Amino acid sequence: MCASVKYNIRGPALIPRMKTKHRIYYITLFSIVLLGLIATGMFQFWPHSIESSNDWNVEKRSIRDVPVVRLPADSPIPERGDLSCRMHTCFDVYRCGFNPKNKIKVYIYALKKYVDDFGVSVSNTISREYNELLMAISDSDYYTDDINRACLFVPSIDVLNQNTLRIKETAQAMAQLSRWDRGTNHLLFNMLPGGPPDYNTALDVPRDRALLAGGGFSTWTYRQGYDVSIPVYSPLSAEVDLPEKGPGPRQYFLLSSQVGLHPEYREDLEALQVKHGESVLVLDKCTNLSEGVLSVRKRCHKHQVFDYPQVLQEATFCVVLRGARLGQAVLSDVLQAGCVPVVIADSYILPFSEVLDWKRASVVVPEEKMSDVYSILQSIPQRQIEEMQRQARWFWEAYFQSIKAIALATLQIINDRIYPYAAISYEEWNDPPAVKWGSVSNPLFLPLIPPQSQGFTAIVLTYDRVESLFRVITEVSKVPSLSKLLVVWNNQNKNPPEDSLWPKIRVPLKVVRTAENKLSNRFFPYDEIETEAVLAIDDDIIMLTSDELQFGYEYFNYLYTYKMPGDIKNWVDAHMNCEDIAMNFLVANVTGKAVIKVTPRKKFKCPECTAIDGLSLDQTHMVERSECINKFASVFGTMPLKVVEHRADPVLYKDDFPEKLKSFPNIGSL
Amino acid sequence: MQSWRRRKSLWLALSASWLLLVLLGGFSLLRLALPPRPRPGASQGWPRWLDAELLQSFSQPGELPEDAVSPPQAPHGGSCNWESCFDTSKCRGDGLKVFVYPAVGTISETHRRILASIEGSRFYTFSPAGACLLLLLSLDAQTGECSSMPLQWNRGRNHLVLRLHPAPCPRTFQLGQAMVAEASPTVDSFRPGFDVALPFLPEAHPLRGGAPGQLRQHSPQPGVALLALEEERGGWRTADTGSSACPWDGRCEQDPGPGQTQRQETLPNATFCLISGHRPEAASRFLQALQVLAALQEMSPARVLALRQQTQFLWDAYFSSVEKVIHTTLEVIQDRIFGTSAHPSLLWNSPPGALLALSTFSTSPQDFPFYYLQQGSRPEGRFSALIWVGPPGQPPLKLIQAVAGSQHCAQILVLWSNERPLPSRWPETAVPLTVIDGHRKVSDRFYPYSTIRTDAILSLDARSSLSTSEVDFAFLVWQSFPERMVGFLTSSHFWDEAHGGWGYTAERTNEFSMVLTTAAFYHRYYHTLFTHSLPKALRTLADEAPTCVDVLMNFIVAAVTKLPPIKAPGGPGPRPKPPAPAPDCINQIAAAFGHMPLLSSRLRLDPVLFKDPVSVQRKKYRSLEKP
Repeated sequence: MCASVKYNIRGPALIPRMKTKHRIYYITLFSIVLLGLIATGMFQFWPHSIESSNDWNVEKRSIRDVPVVRLPADSPIPERGDLSCRMHTCFDVYRCGFNPKNKIKVYIYALKKYVDDFGVSVSNTISREYNELLMAISDSDYYTDDINRACLFVPSIDVLNQNTLRIKETAQAMAQLSRWDRGTNHLLFNMLPGGPPDYNTALDVPRDRALLAGGGFSTWTYRQGYDVSIPVYSPLSAEVDLPEKGPGPRQYFLLSSQVGLHPEYREDLEALQVKHGESVLVLDKCTNLSEGVLSVRKRCHKHQVFDYPQVLQEATFCVVLRGARLGQAVLSDVLQAGCVPVVIADSYILPFSEVLDWKRASVVVPEEKMSDVYSILQSIPQRQIEEMQRQARWFWEAYFQSIKAIALATLQIINDRIYPYAAISYEEWNDPPAVKWGSVSNPLFLPLIPPQSQGFTAIVLTYDRVESLFRVITEVSKVPSLSKLLVVWNNQNKNPPEDSLWPKIRVPLKVVRTAENKLSNRFFPYDEIETEAVLAIDDDIIMLTSDELQFGYEYFNYLYTYKMPGDIKNWVDAHMNCEDIAMNFLVANVTGKAVIKVTPRKKFKCPECTAIDGLSLDQTHMVERSECINKFASVFGTMPLKVVEHRADPVLYKDDFPEKLKSFPNIGSL
Repeated sequence: MQSWRRRKSLWLALSASWLLLVLLGGFSLLRLALPPRPRPGASQGWPRWLDAELLQSFSQPGELPEDAVSPPQAPHGGSCNWESCFDTSKCRGDGLKVFVYPAVGTISETHRRILASIEGSRFYTFSPAGACLLLLLSLDAQTGECSSMPLQWNRGRNHLVLRLHPAPCPRTFQLGQAMVAEASPTVDSFRPGFDVALPFLPEAHPLRGGAPGQLRQHSPQPGVALLALEEERGGWRTADTGSSACPWDGRCEQDPGPGQTQRQETLPNATFCLISGHRPEAASRFLQALQVLAALQEMSPARVLALRQQTQFLWDAYFSSVEKVIHTTLEVIQDRIFGTSAHPSLLWNSPPGALLALSTFSTSPQDFPFYYLQQGSRPEGRFSALIWVGPPGQPPLKLIQAVAGSQHCAQILVLWSNERPLPSRWPETAVPLTVIDGHRKVSDRFYPYSTIRTDAILSLDARSSLSTSEVDFAFLVWQSFPERMVGFLTSSHFWDEAHGGWGYTAERTNEFSMVLTTAAFYHRYYHTLFTHSLPKALRTLADEAPTCVDVLMNFIVAAVTKLPPIKAPGGPGPRPKPPAPAPDCINQIAAAFGHMPLLSSRLRLDPVLFKDPVSVQRKKYRSLEKP
């Protein structure tokens, strides 16, 4: 009550003195200030995440606003393309010296609009595809905005289609680029070269030493190892979504879908159709389409209308014939449909042929053999056709699908030339993912009998059972092929015995001390291992008679430490068990082969071990080992181990034959 | 008074907040309104154009396609490519047929032997009219015998000029459209896809066979020099890993002087050798500039191992003898003619190489016994039994029953190869039985019959005796080693000091190098290899001395796999001793191969519990242990 009274006294004391107008004025003022403060606060603290993303950083401008550059009529023109250019003569690799990680750095010149003395523009400023292409390069790891550290320069002058530009003026525009220097280390992209009437197979713009990534090179214009042959991008790829169709027989054996073919070629194709009937389909432009139907997406045979490019999926082989230009966008459509292209274009350099193996995805037929195409194709076995269909689709997905794919493949090819030792292998370029995963490339692929002279290195892993260890050493040293003995001393708390206490043996003996007691230490690739064959044994084994040997390879030791998926190594070290199973998994996984069991031995005698001491004896041990197998199989993703029913024995093993004539009579005697 | 003070503080608060608002808000408003200045150092990519959607495509529909014009012609009169200068119409039929111009006048011994080697090869044809390729050997200038223009020259069309050694004769005629195969061609004269580049061969290169690679240890060794540089006057200098490489600023001026350098005349023991073509003095500069060392140091041991093995494979498959170099050249040209049925890249680049993996057999790597791993496939689980019935010609009823009882048997083929008439009745079997009437020739046994539908063949002689479980187990072993022969009876070769030649023994010893094909599993590809790749002389030899055929087959398989065959337990117990082959047979074959490919093995692959002291109930192949 009292408070309200107070309020009543105080409140009216302030407010009534102001006019109602003022009151509203103040309240509005306050709320504006408050809102403003809140908004600013939000702006200050909220948008940080947006700011750091790329969008915020990239210029948002209109193409109409790009700076205009006037080219005087007498500004210099580069020399014509130098046909003798090769990487070692026309390319300056020293500019790539700043690039770390075996990756070239690419600089893109800023976009400008070039006009001549009369203000008439030299070309379309930029096409949609070239914009995409430059964006793809800019988003890739190759990009740098530091012109001084770049190895490759890409002008933003769009020369994808020669028909949309003025040749002389475009060349002048190139020549005045800041780092042009006769075009050294400059890369131009062109998909539609030449112009009527004679259609040159390479860009006519004089470009001196610049590299050309061109669609439609012929053997006459292509500078092997210098230029890059690229596909002619098909804009349909972006518009049409053709789901992948598995390989196998299709309705038509051979299909031709191109329009505007030379009449001679069309006659030849139609003759094929007459001869082979239903299995050959020759399509042409539609003449009687109703208004509003996109003629690009339709093809006709007589009065039958087909959807393009869907119809390509109905054919096993699709003809890709030379037009006025050698490179045809239809090649891309055909690959997308998983149809095997039959390329009939003499002297055409197929896209990316420097790295792609087109024999696996296409059939190239000389023009003069066009009438024999059908019989040539029929001689290809079905299995090979299916592989080609799969390969065709894979090429499209990897290298044709988008402008980005084309741009990155081009840069990768140039990158591979500059860093050949870090280049992508044939298999990586050409094998579809299914093959890459399914196949095993054995690291020891060369058939080889280990040289007798070299012998093997024995590795004994030990903790502290010195007496047993010495017995093992003495026994192993009797083996004639032994060339070195390596003792891995796995006990950090105890020093190995004095030198004088070790048994005297005829081969070098070396003790390696480890930093931690790990079973994985057995498979470390010690520098001391000089032979290729390695015998790994435990110290608790009174060795086999000296005839009995078990070989692994030093290489697998290397793999065990460096290539073994991380989980497994830790698991082994934690459980003090199963390192041998892990090794088996690894060997099976990298070689794709089963291990070989040698000699009939199943148990190793171990006089010193008690049930607790010898790891491999009790029941829980076996349970744990089954667990290991499950765990390893899940880490490797598959079960690489293979089951075999054989074992290697000496030729005359347990044969009814005089013992003294046998080579290894002691096997199995213990 | 109080109200005034209150109002004052109110105004103060208001103006302060206004100030704050203007400062903060204005700043952010300013940032919104103006295009952001790129911060120095931040990467600024290609701009996202506001009107990118409105950009036009580079090719407008309707612009393409154009009217086709006549094919472009070669702009340079002299230059050639495959399509324009080689006429493939003469090359129909089975593979490349080559005619070699006979030598005129006196020729060197090497020349004569090379000619003989080509004439004995599968490419040779004796008529120039039937040949698809005409080969002109341009060998040695020392003898002064420069070849003159040959008769069928025809501007060099379909000709191959083979220059094994440099310093060729002065050109007496224009090469024109002839292909040139020579060592170190220059970039200017070499026509890619048309000419063939050869390795540079020393004068004393072996004609045939050739020594295998010299690399003794494939895995990288610690402590061996990383790089050896070729120097002037043929010396070598080794650069070690410890040497500091200069920064890659283009032209490195100071001499980094690779760590320890030592000069030596012989090929050094180093992991990599740097060979710099014509200018050895450029090598050290090259080393400085390109930081070769740094790049090599980064290379993982696994990659070094792979590269080292590949060098050995390439040397052995294509370089080690003059004959291999010539055959490789012809194979390259044949691949161009074949087009789609040429060797896939895998066959060229992995063992045993394109000379031994015939593309006429198949172009699909899965059909060969060598590439199952790379293809991620396995040999199929069935085999075909091919039973050869020679004289005296008793139908092998018992054997047929035993083989047909195997769960892996897909079909039985009986090759009737004797004078007696074919029996009209054959036993009923669970699998199809086909009888082939042979030509009474021993080499028929290894003919690639189209009726053989499985990868594995069990080759049998009518007189051999096998049990079903022996067959089953041996087949399982073959599946693990599909490129090798798995047999039951063995024999070995040995060097006979007394006679200065190879000897043959079928005695039971601790080693063996051959399995008898009277009972052996192998891949059907070896039939194709036997029939189509062997020189005719060798097949004739086998027909004339039938017991030689075993040796020959073992030679082929060993030459391809570089591994010994495998012995499985079993085979006839008290067996009749197989007739020993003619004593000279093994020497004649070894001479034709140019080397001795056979390797000895001390292994026999037994079932896992074979003859172990465990209960018989646990053993899968019990009957194998019966004496």
